Amino acid sequence: MKTRLGTRLKSGILFGAFLPSLTAGIAASEEQATTPAAKNRVAPVPTESRRLALETAGAFLNDGFRIRDGEWKGTLSKGVPLFLQVTLFAGEIYWFVAASPAQGGALRVTVYDSVGKAFKGEQWKDPNGDGGARSAAGVAPEKSGKYFVGVELLEQPNVPSADFSLVYAYK
Amino acid sequence: MVTGRHFAIPALLIPLFLCLPAWGASPPAIAPMTEAQRGEAVFLDAMSIPCPGEVFVALNKACRPNWATLVTPATAPVSTDRAQLALAVGVLAANGYIAVEAQDGQQVRNVGREILSVAKALGVSQSLMARGNSLMEFAENNAWDALADELEATENEVKTTMVEQKDRDLVCLTSAAAWLRGLEIASGVVLGSDSLQGLEVIRQPDLAARLATQLGGLPPRFKGGAQVSLVKETLESASSLLAVKEGRSKEELRATLQKIHDDCSAVMKSILASVTAEGSPSGTPATTPSATPAATNLSPSVTQ
Repeated sequence: MKTRLGTRLKSGILFGAFLPSLTAGIAASEEQATTPAAKNRVAPVPTESRRLALETAGAFLNDGFRIRDGEWKGTLSKGVPLFLQVTLFAGEIYWFVAASPAQGGALRVTVYDSVGKAFKGEQWKDPNGDGGARSAAGVAPEKSGKYFVGVELLEQPNVPSADFSLVYAYK
Repeated sequence: MVTGRHFAIPALLIPLFLCLPAWGASPPAIAPMTEAQRGEAVFLDAMSIPCPGEVFVALNKACRPNWATLVTPATAPVSTDRAQLALAVGVLAANGYIAVEAQDGQQVRNVGREILSVAKALGVSQSLMARGNSLMEFAENNAWDALADELEATENEVKTTMVEQKDRDLVCLTSAAAWLRGLEIASGVVLGSDSLQGLEVIRQPDLAARLATQLGGLPPRFKGGAQVSLVKETLESASSLLAVKEGRSKEELRATLQKIHDDCSAVMKSILASVTAEGSPSGTPATTPSATPAATNLSPSVTQ
């Protein structure tokens, strides 16, 4: 799969071009916070993993992607991948973003088809690892149906296990 | 004469050779998942079941539906049956997404009001007041993307509160109903196309089967209800009908789709039917008496 978005994500994250989007997003959320409805709401405090995952996935918003409200969270150990079942639609583009605040770790996100074969798509990995590990996989399935998303720890972080959060964006 | 130099050259080259495959090699192939891994994969309501908005985005790409013609008046049932009310939340949320796609602000406000009224009947409305207000604000400002996000967040908040109040079983009812409402709309749109454009989008037999299995695992007090039984049967039927069978003619496909559409429509009618004094569902849905605009802080319902 070759999408303009994939290129944008890679270059955007590598060269900081997505920062204006993030800044705009923060400004928008601050603006929202001034509305009466938002003032009354006590939002749940997201975990650091979720915050990192949403921050990374936020780069897609300006490209017309929507981020699902839910998250998949868990704890990873090296050599023990975890899997989530998802339902994808033909013709849509998806990015699955995983993040962990564990320093020194490296994550890999892989999308598998219904029989468990790795699905060809785009991969992105945070090159710096500043503030934790972040990784993403982008796919554009040609068939609607059941798929799996796997998250694994490629490098052991400084702690024995690493909390992670996975979110996804679609358009 | 063989000197030390003759040994020195291979001694330098051999390690170099050993290293070559590592330089030129592509990254190691990712191993396929084992059957056990597939069986143990996590299935999460908020991630594994697509929200109606996701279905409609896919439908928009396959064929451009006329969303304005698909908007239906948002009416919550009058009922004390918690299972029916949980199903109604799913249907109403899906109706909200349709109104968002149609960019019908008034209808979104109506849906928000009805969701709150059902949430109140379920006793999960406390945390939702702010959501209702946000829906109003976004609808007034024509912030359609924000509305779609807020609808999903509202639905999730209802589900979270259900879980907190030890009503976890109700969550799968809400998800199943939302998905069936999406299927009803999508199958209707596909049937409206001569070439059945968009058929690929709705082929989700595994998901239908999974939702039916979840409903089968509900406690008897929920499972025995008329609406829950009907939803389960419809999901099972849809699962087998949606399974890809090669060699089917367009007429056969159309007949299959029509059955799915009719079944889903019957389920929606049953979910939104109010219970009469005798206990049987009436055909006319109505709002709950407690759901007055003053109580929910939202404007009166206006259907277009």
